[in-house]
Amino acid sequence: MAFAEKVLPYIIPRLRLVLEKLKTAHPDGWARLEEIRLRSEQPLQVEMGQSFLVTPAGGLTVAPQAACVVRAEDVLRTVQLMGGNSLYTLEEELREGYLTLPGGHRVGLAGECLVEGGHLLRLKRITSLNIRIARELKGIGRGLLPYLVQEARPLRTVIVSPPQAGKTTLLRDLIRCFSNGEDLLAPVKVGLVDERGEVAGSYRGIPQLDVGIRTDLLSGCPKRDGVFLLLRSMGPQLIATDEIGRPGDLEMIEEILNAGVGFLTTAHAWDTTDFSARPSLRKLWARGLVERVVVLSRRLGPGTLEGVWDGRTKEPLSSAARRLEVQR
Amino acid sequence: MKNIGAILVFVAGTVVGWLYSLLLQKRVKILCSLIQCFQWLETEVGYADVTLAEAFGRIGRRVDPETGMLFSSFAAELNEERGLTAAEAWQQSLAACRDRLTLQGEDWAVLEDFGHTLGSTDREHQLNAIRQTLEKLKLQAEAAAAFRKNNERLYRYLGMAGGALIVILLY
Repeated sequence: MAFAEKVLPYIIPRLRLVLEKLKTAHPDGWARLEEIRLRSEQPLQVEMGQSFLVTPAGGLTVAPQAACVVRAEDVLRTVQLMGGNSLYTLEEELREGYLTLPGGHRVGLAGECLVEGGHLLRLKRITSLNIRIARELKGIGRGLLPYLVQEARPLRTVIVSPPQAGKTTLLRDLIRCFSNGEDLLAPVKVGLVDERGEVAGSYRGIPQLDVGIRTDLLSGCPKRDGVFLLLRSMGPQLIATDEIGRPGDLEMIEEILNAGVGFLTTAHAWDTTDFSARPSLRKLWARGLVERVVVLSRRLGPGTLEGVWDGRTKEPLSSAARRLEVQR
Repeated sequence: MKNIGAILVFVAGTVVGWLYSLLLQKRVKILCSLIQCFQWLETEVGYADVTLAEAFGRIGRRVDPETGMLFSSFAAELNEERGLTAAEAWQQSLAACRDRLTLQGEDWAVLEDFGHTLGSTDREHQLNAIRQTLEKLKLQAEAAAAFRKNNERLYRYLGMAGGALIVILLY
């Protein structure tokens, strides 16, 4: 897998060297790399199924005293590299707390904030970076398509999972499948509102990850505004968005239904019980507005399919847990 | 033979004087080009949402090759993924161009100052730094033009006079 290698040029040479040694010493772990975390004056940390610290020689350890320490300057210089040495182009990102690298990799930022009148203006001194490796697993959603389509019409679907269980990866691939018409009677025009830029991995407006040939992308746009814009202007047959669950999202879904358009989205929840208990999502479930609920977990590793539920009958359609696999 | 030698010495002195006067002209020309470049940079940073590497690369291609070399080499340093900050890349570009651009110590000092916060602050601070550098470059260009006006002929005459003096001394 070459996903993680694409982030290395954006990390300062001292730490890049350590990570290159890690790649050589632990190729299997490197292929599973989910996150690289840089915190000022703390050990260099990676997530590979579990959390490890990295030694200066590229080894894995859990002992902080043996690990390579990230200096405050390393974090600042890495942010500068990630911003093409042009921090002035990242003002929006410093306000939102994340930026996207070429390849669609997301970098979360934390540190000292600049606040005015009780409102966050932007981050002024960055001390923590969380580099999340974007995985594009084309074909991971193909096995689910028979559950999500009825008479050539995409069913209204929500993918539900806890964090880091692969819902964005699955969402992206399902969008691609619908948009390209893979294993379907007919392809579908998709309108994607990628509020946080994670689905298409948009870098300077250009999707870095494959979201299909019939997908119109609105990146960095508030979901509600984006959905209305796409419904008015692009005539989509399916609207896809990233995580719903905030107040107002129900009205947005109703608006999509009124337009006779399908939707495909994700939500943070552990299972259908948790999903139906969330105040902002409860009505979606209770009123049967969602036709399919796909539940993922990390039980057998990221991308474990816990089951697909019929949102109207509340019955499981497939409930034997299994890892989703790429189907070509 | 002696006369030919005397003529050659006189011509050499005259050429040296001419060359010095040309250097004065060239400095003014390069400072004017730099002013043009920093005006473009102000537009690129202020109104076009492009990185420094893109902005400097574009400017390097637009301006005359001699001045453009400084901007292009900075863009190339940033694109090389060596992990240099913009300030470091700027200093390296200045060092690489120092022997090739006809500028004086004060001119170089203005350019060095400009690099200190390059790329590491918000848009407002970047624009302030560009505008300050522009003002300083304009002052340098005015001073260089005045110096040229006062001394261009002097250098030429000194060259000729120097050549003539050597000939007289040798005779």
